[in-house]
Amino acid sequence: MPKTLPPIIRIAKYTLTDEIRQKSFIIMFAICAIFIFLVRGCYQGNFMVNGQTLDAETVIRVVSKLTFHVIAAGAMLLTALLSMRVFRRDRDEGMQSCVLAKPIARWQYVAGKILGLWVLSVMFMFSLHSVVFIIASINLNAVLPEFLIASLLCFFNLLFVVVAVFLLSLLMSDVFAFLCVLGIGIVGLVADGIYALSHSQMAQAMIGQSGAPSDWTWWKAVYYLWPKLSGAERFASSFIGGEGFPGFGSIYPLINILAYCLILGTLLFWRFRNEDIV
Amino acid sequence: MTNLIFCYPYFLDITGWGTYSFCMIELNNATKRYGTLTAVDNVSFSVQAGEYFALLGPNGAGKTTIVKMLLDFARPTSGSLSVNGLPSTQAASRNAVGYLAENCHIPPYLSGWQYLQRCAELLDMSRLDAMRQCGRIVELIGMQGREHTKVSTYSKGMIQRFGLGAALIGNPKLLILDEPTASLDPIGIREIRELLESLKDQGMTIFLNSHLLSEVEKICDNAAIINQGRLLVKDAISALVKDNDTLEDVFVRLVKG
Repeated sequence: MPKTLPPIIRIAKYTLTDEIRQKSFIIMFAICAIFIFLVRGCYQGNFMVNGQTLDAETVIRVVSKLTFHVIAAGAMLLTALLSMRVFRRDRDEGMQSCVLAKPIARWQYVAGKILGLWVLSVMFMFSLHSVVFIIASINLNAVLPEFLIASLLCFFNLLFVVVAVFLLSLLMSDVFAFLCVLGIGIVGLVADGIYALSHSQMAQAMIGQSGAPSDWTWWKAVYYLWPKLSGAERFASSFIGGEGFPGFGSIYPLINILAYCLILGTLLFWRFRNEDIV
Repeated sequence: MTNLIFCYPYFLDITGWGTYSFCMIELNNATKRYGTLTAVDNVSFSVQAGEYFALLGPNGAGKTTIVKMLLDFARPTSGSLSVNGLPSTQAASRNAVGYLAENCHIPPYLSGWQYLQRCAELLDMSRLDAMRQCGRIVELIGMQGREHTKVSTYSKGMIQRFGLGAALIGNPKLLILDEPTASLDPIGIREIRELLESLKDQGMTIFLNSHLLSEVEKICDNAAIINQGRLLVKDAISALVKDNDTLEDVFVRLVKG
């Protein structure tokens, strides 16, 4: 049995411990902790819809689902914030040249960085989801395992964010890299919204009445080809609330994200291989 | 005994360092261009094992670019470089190579000890071996008592010492130093010089990139002078410095043409 860890794991370990020291991580963690503390109160509230009081189970499921989305989105934001400065910080603090002057290949360095940051963001998101899972389970007097399954599925979104921000931070300034990935998420969300709207009964009726062209091809292309971060999150959340497996058709956003991770990851390794180390 | 020269990986050396001399570093028509700027222009030379070699040149001559290419921090536009008998593009060529950067930086939130320990662990050492090595290195660089304080409290000279310490971890056979005494005071310069001389006596190959010509003259065996990316001369210091000349005189004469 080897006594020492492989270089990728070592670099991942150093990345993780270094990032935890960052102010942005501490601030975001504090904000999320406050958010969860506030959400705790929602589970005990009385909610009325159309004059009818909602039963406790429905409230718990709706609040849990909402919290799930907020945490998943927050984790993506935090991951993007942390990822955008990783290479630059390593370069400025001399760790990049220190690591690469050792018999460690560049791909191992990049893989270690990806792994470290991914594990950190996954731990962050999963721990917050776990707190909500515990609160929901206590209030419901029943265990909601699907909540944790949904959280696991969101791991791929975080991997996408890490890889995309890493790649873009090699091509442009850190802030632009962050904003670009934020933009990717927002455009995906808008495309999903427009697609959903175009398929609503009201929109169909309006299109039929006005005689406007029902050609949504451009938006359809965006809908299918754009990184489907929100789609993957929605697919994951569909497990919560006892809806069960929504069918293989809705697995597409997850495949889309995995394919993007693969493509952007390959580009990242290729780009870093040709990068001059300062 | 005649010194035979071979260029093959040091790990094939089963005969001991005294008998044979191996090419630790070899540049074959190495060229590096950044757009229209040619930083290194068709440079070829080699450094034998156990040699104390200095690469000299004015600012912007291409010295650091050569160091970067040796460590695969930058890829040559054409030509090839080998370290330890292996192409510099292979990670294995950096086995048993120590490197100190010109402006050494260490993460400010680490202590000197933690930094050395990281460097040791990256060389695949177990925690126990790493701790032993770090203890020895701290003594060697004369930083006992300060190793557990944060790097943010260190002076430039202290950071440079820890940088040199990190380069010495794992008992490298080749030490690549880019301006190692740049931030040191005269006492520090003397201590580092003595340390490097003792390392050379132990058979270590030292590739020094320096501006301190008087230091180079005192301690180096061979030197190469480059200017505007071109190799002007490569010879033994004793052959370059003749009569009442100093290395500085030779350097100025060659660079100014």
